[in-house]
This record gives sequence, C-alpha cells and structure tokens, in this order.
Amino acid sequence: MSRLQAEHLYKVFGRRPEDAVRKLEAGADRDELRADGTTAAVIDASIEVDEGQIFVVMGLSGSGKSTLLRMLNGLLEPTAGTVRFDGQDLTSLSDKELRKVRSEKISMVFQHFALFPHRSVLENAGYGLEVQGVPRAERERRAAEALALTGLEGWEKSWPDELSGGMQQRVGLARALATDADLLLMDESFSALDPLIRRDMQDQLLELQKSLKKTIVFITHDLNEAMRLGDRIAVMRDGRIVQIGSAEDILVRPANDYVASFIQDVDRSRVLTAGAVMSEVGTVLGTTAPDGRTLGTAAEFRAAAPATVGQDTPLAELFTPCSASTVPVAVTDDKGALVGAVPAERLLAVLGESAEPQPAPGVPAQPAVKTPAKAPVDETPGNDEPVEPGRNEPEDKVIAGA
Amino acid sequence: MPRIQIGSWANDAVNWLRDNLDWLFTLLTKVLNGLYDAIHTVLAAPEPLLLAGILAVLAWWLRGLPAAVLTFLGFALIDSIEQWGPTIESLSLVLVACLITVVVAVPLGIWAARSRVVGGALRPVLDLMQTMPAMVYLIPGILFFGLGVVPGIVATIVFSMPPAVRMTELGIRQVDGELVEAAEAFGTHPRSTLFRVQLPLALPTIMAGINQVIMLALSMVVIAGMVGGGGLGSSVYNAISSVNVALGAEAGLAVVILAMYLDRMTGALNQRVSPLGRRALAKAQASLGGLKFLHWRPATSVAMVGVVVLALLAGGLGMAGKGSGQGGGGNGRPISLGYVNWDEGKATTYLWKEILEERGYKPKVQALEAGPLFAGQARGDIDVQTNAWLPTTHASYWKKYKDHLEDLGAWYDKTSLEIAVPSYVKGVKTLDDLKGKGGEFGGKITGIEPGAGEMKILKDKVLKDYGLGGEYKVQESSTASMLSELDRSVHRKKPIAVTLWSPHWAYDKYPLTKLKDPKGSFGSGDSLHLLGRKGFAKDEPEVAKWMKNFHLDEKQLTGLENDVKSAGDGHEQDGVRTWLKKNPGLVDKIAPGAGATYAKGKDAGKAPNIGYPAWDEGIATTYLWKNVLEKRGYKPNIRNLDVGPMWTGLSTGQIDVETDGWLPVAQKQYWDKYKKDLVDVGPWYDKTSLEIAVPSYVKGVKTLDDLRKHKDEFKGKIIGIEPGTGEMKRLKDTVAPAYGLQDFDVTSAGTSAMLAELDRAYHKKEPIAVVLWSPHWAYSKYKLTKLADPQGTWGANNQIKTLGNKSFPKKFPEFAGWLKNWKMNAEELGSLEKDIQDAGKGNENKGVEKWIADHPGIVDKMAPVK
Repeated sequence: MSRLQAEHLYKVFGRRPEDAVRKLEAGADRDELRADGTTAAVIDASIEVDEGQIFVVMGLSGSGKSTLLRMLNGLLEPTAGTVRFDGQDLTSLSDKELRKVRSEKISMVFQHFALFPHRSVLENAGYGLEVQGVPRAERERRAAEALALTGLEGWEKSWPDELSGGMQQRVGLARALATDADLLLMDESFSALDPLIRRDMQDQLLELQKSLKKTIVFITHDLNEAMRLGDRIAVMRDGRIVQIGSAEDILVRPANDYVASFIQDVDRSRVLTAGAVMSEVGTVLGTTAPDGRTLGTAAEFRAAAPATVGQDTPLAELFTPCSASTVPVAVTDDKGALVGAVPAERLLAVLGESAEPQPAPGVPAQPAVKTPAKAPVDETPGNDEPVEPGRNEPEDKVIAGA
Repeated sequence: MPRIQIGSWANDAVNWLRDNLDWLFTLLTKVLNGLYDAIHTVLAAPEPLLLAGILAVLAWWLRGLPAAVLTFLGFALIDSIEQWGPTIESLSLVLVACLITVVVAVPLGIWAARSRVVGGALRPVLDLMQTMPAMVYLIPGILFFGLGVVPGIVATIVFSMPPAVRMTELGIRQVDGELVEAAEAFGTHPRSTLFRVQLPLALPTIMAGINQVIMLALSMVVIAGMVGGGGLGSSVYNAISSVNVALGAEAGLAVVILAMYLDRMTGALNQRVSPLGRRALAKAQASLGGLKFLHWRPATSVAMVGVVVLALLAGGLGMAGKGSGQGGGGNGRPISLGYVNWDEGKATTYLWKEILEERGYKPKVQALEAGPLFAGQARGDIDVQTNAWLPTTHASYWKKYKDHLEDLGAWYDKTSLEIAVPSYVKGVKTLDDLKGKGGEFGGKITGIEPGAGEMKILKDKVLKDYGLGGEYKVQESSTASMLSELDRSVHRKKPIAVTLWSPHWAYDKYPLTKLKDPKGSFGSGDSLHLLGRKGFAKDEPEVAKWMKNFHLDEKQLTGLENDVKSAGDGHEQDGVRTWLKKNPGLVDKIAPGAGATYAKGKDAGKAPNIGYPAWDEGIATTYLWKNVLEKRGYKPNIRNLDVGPMWTGLSTGQIDVETDGWLPVAQKQYWDKYKKDLVDVGPWYDKTSLEIAVPSYVKGVKTLDDLRKHKDEFKGKIIGIEPGTGEMKRLKDTVAPAYGLQDFDVTSAGTSAMLAELDRAYHKKEPIAVVLWSPHWAYSKYKLTKLADPQGTWGANNQIKTLGNKSFPKKFPEFAGWLKNWKMNAEELGSLEKDIQDAGKGNENKGVEKWIADHPGIVDKMAPVK
C-alpha cells in the first residue's frame, strides 16, 4: 500500500489559474499559457510513494520539481489535484489542521540548510518539537538523540555558523528526524555540498534509511545521485513527469530522447547490474569452452564459468572475469540457483548501446510522445547541469537548484 | 491658472480640528506631559554626578570600561558647564519621543512588511513626515497642544518615525525566505514565525532604525526649543538669537556629548538584546588578546545591581536634599512670563521674575519667537509677555490675537525704528543721504526676520518715501544674522546699513549712527507693552495692577540690561539683584503692599479662639478674620464645630467669638438658652433669607404654591440640609403645612450632600428643589429661582451676627472694636465665598488672599490701626 499519493497535481501561477488548468487539460501547452502571463509550474503530475521507499524526483531547474515537493506538504496549495498521505487528503485541510500535519507527520530538509542562525545547534534540531509544544527537557533529549544519529554528538552547544556545510546539513537532517515524522521531504538537500561530502551524506542517508525506514521524497538535478539513492525515480521536464521507474528502467529503457540524452553520460557499468543484462542460461548450453569441453548442462557451465555473481552485481565487476575467459559469467539468484549468463559480447554490447527511447512498461506514456526528437541536441544535460560526479562546482548548484 | 486654495483649506482644517477635537488634543497633551514629567522627575532627582555614574555603569555594561570612563567624564563636563538641567530635560524629551515612536513604528513596519498594500500606502506618508519642514507643523502644533514640551515631542515623533518604520519593514523583508519557509514547513503559526524567526533576525536592522530615531530626535530637540520645549534646544535657541557664542558653544557641546552617548549606547544595545548581536559579541570577546579587562563588560545582572544601588543612593540623597517652602502674598501661585528674546525683554522679564518671587509667586520664564509666543499666549499658556512692541512691530500678531489678550499698558515708550550705519561711514546722517550710495553699501540693507513689522514698513513705505527702492535691496535674514553681519563689517570697517531699533545694546557696543527720518516714514515709534492673556487681570488682580503701573525710563532700562548682560547667561537674576541693590525701594514701589508691610495691632500676639459652623458664610468670614488677624500679628485659633457644641463652647468661654449667628429667627432656641453668658457684638450682614430654590430652567415654578402643583416633576422630593437646623425645623413645622407640602419627602443629608445633588441635577438639567438660604454662593454659581413665600411662613429675615462670650470684649478690646464696625454686603460675601470655594478645601487661606488682593485696602478698613 502506498503511503503517499499525488493525483493529477497542477500548479499554475498568475491570474485565473483555474482557467489555465482547464486549457492544459484540453491540450494546451506551457508556451501558450506563458503568452497569457500565467506560468504552469507543475502539469498533471501523479506519483505514488510506498512506505520505506526513497522516491527521487529529478529534473533541471525550472522543471517544477521543487514546486511539486512543496505541494506535498501544503506549503503551496495545488491549483488542481489531490495529495493523500496515509489516506488523509491534505488539500482539503484547514490551515490549522495542515500546520498540525506538518509539525507531526512531515519534515523537510532544505537545499541551503535553512538553519536558524540565532539558535544553537541543539535549539535548531529541537525546533520542530518546540513548535509541537514538547516540554523543554524532553525536547532537548530527543534533539540530542537526533543529532547523535547524524553523527553530531558533542556539537550541541555550537552555533550553525561554526559548522562546515556538511555538518550544517546534518543539523538540518537531525531537525527533520527529531520530530519522528514519517514522511521526509528533501529539496536538493545535498546539492550545495562538495562532491566528496555529498557522497558521504548520500551514504549516511542510505545507512539511516536501513534502520529508520522513512518514506522519503528526494529532489535532485543530479542523475548519479538519483540513481544512487532512488528506489524509484521520476524524471520531470517542463512541469510534466516524463518517466517513472527504477534506475535500470530509466537507464535501459529511456522513455524518450530527452531522458535518453539525460542519461548518456551516466557510468552505466556502475548502475546496470548483471541481472539486468544477462542472457537465458539456454543460450550458453551447447557451446564449447576454449579448452574444448562442451557445456552441455547447467552444472558444466557453472564449473567452467570464470566467475559466479549475484543478480545485483554492477557490470563494472564483470570486466575482469570476462576478459579471463570466453565462457560467460554465471549469474545466480539470492538462493544460489543459476538464473542466467553474461557473455563478454553481451557486456560490450550493452555498454556500447546508445540509449534509445523505447516504450517501457509501467511508464506513463503520454508525455514521452510529445518530446521532439531534436530535443537532446539543444538540451544536453551536461551544458548547464553537469552530471558527472567530481566536476560539479557548488556555486553552480546554488543557481541551478533555486 | 485657477487658484487652488490649499492653504486656506489647511487653515480651515486646522481650525476645525482645534474646535472639534479639543478633547483628543487635551488627552494627548495630558498623556505626553505625564510621561515627560514622570521620566524627567526620575532623571532629575539624583545628583548630577550620581546619574553620570548610573549612565557610566550602563556604558560599561554595553561597551566596556573605556566607554564608561568617557561617559562619566562627558557628563561631569556637562555638569561643570552648567548645562546639566537642560541636558536632562532634553534627554527626557528624547526618551519620551523615542518610546512612543518605537511603540508605534515597529508594529507599523511589521504590518508594512507583511502587506504590500499597507507598505505602499505608508511610503508617501513617511516621505511627507520626513521632508515637511518642522516649523510648518510646529506652529499648528502650538494651536493644538499649547506651548511647552508637548508640541516638541509631537514634532519629534513625526520627524523620527519614518526611519523606524522603514528599517523595521526592511529588516523583516530581509530575513532569508528559506528560513521563513523552514518555519512554515515545521508547522509554525505565522504569528510565531514573526516572533521566533523574523523579529529576532530583523532585530539588528530594527535596532539600527531605533538608533536613527534617537539621533533624529536629538536633532529635533533644538527646534523644539523654539516653542518652549525647554532643554538644550532652549539654550541653543537663546544663544543663537542673542549671538552668544559662549553659551552656544557650551550648549552645543552638551548636545554633542548627549548625542554621542545615545548613539554609542543604542548601537551597542543590539549586542545585548538581539541573539545575533550577543553571538557576535561572544565571538569578538573570544578572539581578544591582551588588555582584556578593557573590554570586559559586566553581565546584565551585575550591571542591574550597579544601577539599582546607585539609584537607591540617589533616591536617598534626593530625599535628604528636599526642604523649605515659600511664603508671601502670592502663596506659590505660578505665573508664566514669556518674552521675545531681545535684551529689553530679557531684562524686564527677569526683573519681574525677581519681584514676583519676592512676593511669593512662582514665576516661570520662557524665551520664544514672537509667533509661538503670541500663539501660545492666546491659548493661555503664557500669562504675561513683557516686550510687545506696539503699535507697529508686533502689529500683525496683535491684530490676530488681540481678542485673546489684554494690554497691561506700556512701560517704556521711547522706542524707535531706524536704519543704522557705522559712524565711520562719513556723510550719511539721514535716510536721504543713502541715496546714490548704493554702490558703497553693496546695494543692500541687511534686515531681520521677514515677518517683523519693521521689515514691512521699510519695504512698503520707507524705501518708497526716500526713493531708495531701485537702489537698495532689503535682505531678509534674522536678528542674529543681522547682528553677526554687523559685527563682521564693523571689525573690517566696511560700510553696512542695517535695520535696527532703540533701545538696543548694539548702540552701546558699536559706534553707530541712527539715520534721521525727516519724513517720519518709520512712524512715531513703538511703546513696549506688557500683555496679559485674557482673564489675567481678573485672576491675578494684584499683579495686573502692579504691571499696569510699571514704568522704566531709559536710564533704568539700559542699566538693568547692562547688569543682566554682564551677569551672564544662566545668571540673569543675579544681574537683576545687582541692579535692584542700586535702586533700593524699587520693588516696593513697583509691587506695593505685600504681607510684611502690615502694621501690628495693639493686641498683637493674643490668641482668640474663633468657632464656626461648616456653613459657607461661616467658613468664609472666619478664614477672612483669621487672615486679617494674622496680618495684624494675632495668633488666632479657629475651630470648626457643630451648631449645638459651638453655642455651648461660647457660653463656657472655650470659644471667644463666632461670626455666624443667625438671629433673631434661625438660632433663636440657642440664643434664648445661652444669652446670659453671651454678648451680641453686632450684625455684619442684614439681608438674609431662608427659602426653597429651584433651577431657573424649571419653568412655571415661581412660588411655593407652584412647587406643590409640580410635585410629580420633582418626584415629590425636597433636598434638605442638616436635620437639626432651624431652617429644616421651620420648613417642617410652619412652611410645609402652610403650602400643603407635607407629603413631600424632605431628605436631610446635610449641606454638602445637598449642594452635590444640586450640582449633579443642574448639569443634567433635571428638576430639583433644595433648601437654601441667602446669602449663598450657589446663587452666583447656578441660575436658581428663590421660590416666593407669599404667606411669609419663613418668618422675619435674619441678620448674621457676631456673638462673643461675655468676657470677649474685655479680653480682646481691639478685635471686638473691629468686629463691631465690620459689615459686608452681598457682593463681597458672595465673591469671598466663591474665591474660597475655588481655592478648594485645605486652601481656604489662598482664596482669602486672592479676595483681599481683589479688595485693596480691605484689611485697613476691617482692622484699622493707628
């Protein structure tokens, strides 16, 4: 059962937003509206997030991802559509009820940390509890626990301006965790950090998530980050969601040229897994090993294979075994049963494959149709949104994530 | 272009406001005055050096040791240059203005930050407040609030409000949007967001705004001095209008010290009140090297203790320092004297201050511009102004305000207006000589304030008559600038022509030639008048009489001016005293007949016991005699007694005499009982009567018969007095049966309750019938109808007699003799009762004093001595 559902969300800024929604539903596009002086930030977005899942929304600046996020906790009121959390329709709540939901059930982590400079680290971490009216002693205890969880033990009495960026964002994370909210909204939370620190934070988030099992919606413009963190990923463009799927879905079956161009710089060998590219075991049976042995049965294949790997093994780890033998690498499932084989040719072919849009099952089809073929040429993601890790300048992020 | 009458609309609006919102302005004036008085009382109470110590502790708390030391030295310097009083007044004024400004401006700024509409609407209003010249609203301010600190405070608030509003708005808007969003995302109520996030973060900006407010307020204080705001403003204003460089420098220095102190302290206050400021302070202190003690600041609690200890010390000393009151004819009544800051005005004003103080008044002195002075006096804020130049110079003011002023007469009449040139300019003796010399004088005549009458005459008449119009331009400036210009030119021996008048000290100081005016264009010359506010002569007849007879000749005036000038500013009165020493007896000549001059009676030192019942004529005459006897050196004791006990006391000799015996009717029963022990000294009042009275607005009730017919209208009630009195008895036994009033309910609550009830009903215009008697002051206060008694049931008229114990004439022969010949008529008794009534309970003697002053010679008439 999904905990968070957003259905047909629209957000239009400007005059007479309802009219604009009607026009959009009738098929008008964003540029036509812009001529009227209204801006459609989010158009017909629907997502579902399951419990314990990290749902990543990815897109360039101006794609509407931050607007979408702010509609999920009611900071922005949707022009149309509904948001349901645990079955409760947030769009129908009064201001007061909405504030209660926000203070108890939904937390948020911000891009530039948004720590209160006039409060100590402990007071910052305890802010949400203070709003809830939790007594001081308990508030401080829980805030200190949250800080310990994010590795900031001993920094309680410090002030935000004494901490490094990464530590500041840990305070931001601790503040969000302290309230025990189930839903965590993270708005480009790691974008303003140095690449190495960003990686640390990503690891820490994944580590925490293993034990905390929060429901997380994570906004980013960094595809590698999306691939690393996301159980499911939604790609947004011009206010619309163009594809939703797992990292492999998006990498292997991009819904259109836009997504394809987006993913072309991704290190596929680290994202794709043996399970995703393996061939049927049958294709191996009957072939001959270099030493002349015939691989007639599965057992013979397993014995001759240069290595046996699990389905989750990234392709990067298959290169060495493949180069050692012409016999394909054997792939087994969790229980050790043989489920497939990765021959060297297949490995090379997959990595060399240029990402072509192909209809993928389970992806909303409508947005992909409209994507013009030439789009990737103009809007190479690398132009203003470097995707490769390691080359990102934090300053860029400040602008791009705004 | 059609003429748009904005000016006259504004004038109408101001008049309308003054007439219709008077209650509001009165309320505001009260509140602001109260605030100012409270703060000023607190600040002025301690010894200067103690307060300097308190301020230094604050400086230590806020900025560290060096600031504390400098603060103490600075304020000690202010005390040493004798600007302490004005400085404290200014400080109080600034504090009141800032307090109100902040209370109003911060919420306004917050509102403006949260609502674009409000922000947009406020902006032009703030611009207007900031740029409108202060004098423009200062003068209407006087019409609304009167002279004194209040218009100064209001003008200061108007002037200093904009930066506080703007900085608050800016501060709130500047707070990082993400922080506000974060607060919202955690479910914070917008109000909490304001107090928990926006205000704390905006506080440094808001504090910068408050700092601006204080500095602007301080700069405005100087202008407020021109409307009698007091403080350093008055000192500065005094200095510039009399070209007194010494005073100007000292007052200016005091302003600077005060300004620096307030600026540095409010600047540092941010470090104490705002969390961000505290944080920055802690950081700065952590990074300090050596000399840490210089920067060490006491914790808030320590500083508080220091301030409290010093304040307690100050309070203790202040208590101990209080002492001695004042006596004399004026009984401490305040009289405010105002003058245009010219030398003859200053000299005479301080002369009058000295005289009035010697006569027991509490005069207050204020120097003002002519405009505010006349406007303020027309409102009644100033009792007397001493140097009105009439009929010419101040003609425009006199014309405008004469309905609210009364002329107390001219005291000096040889003034003249003229153009003067330095004597070293040869060949210029008359106005005609100026012709053709335009080049030499630079084609200009240096004038004074454009509003002055002399300037008008010069431009409209003199230049025309002498054909100087084309050749000379009259340069408008101010008296002070004209004198500076004259001083400069004389020192460089340059030709200059200035508008001047006599008497003026410039003629003593510089060699000047008054240009003759053969055509008489300047007119016959002004006289110097004393002007009283409307009603002054009635309120202070004695002073008014003195003033009407006051006259100085040129020798006296210049001598006085010289002595005052050489005594120096702040010591004018010493100058006056010096001058008075040279002119012995002058005070008695100017203000004759003060208390000390009464001759002693033969029996002086004796102590008669006088008893009186608590009826108005008894109180009045007893206090009158007490006063007169004291003037004659007696030591009378007076005792208020109920009627019965008093007659008993008279018969036993405990009471020597009483003045309130109503005979033969009202107090017959007592007289019959005690007459063997008493002596009838004689009647002093003949035409008494008893009656029932109703307000005149009750129509158709003229007689006691009418009263019966209108019973319902009066709800069947007659308000009576003390039940034991003869009049009440008579009403019940004789009057009521005769007119069929038995079923009226006659209340018997006492005289004062009856009068209170009468007052209440009278103001509500309700019908009421009261038991009354003549003479009574109620008849002069209210319009009452005495109900006619056609059947004569109230009985024969009483006389009011003085009754004594039979030993009285022997014991006090002189006093008894005075009483025997003493008479009063209705007018005298009514006005005496009213004066005592107006003075209020406990101040009966003041009322008597006033009445005696209104009736010159009465003491000698009542109690003649050889």
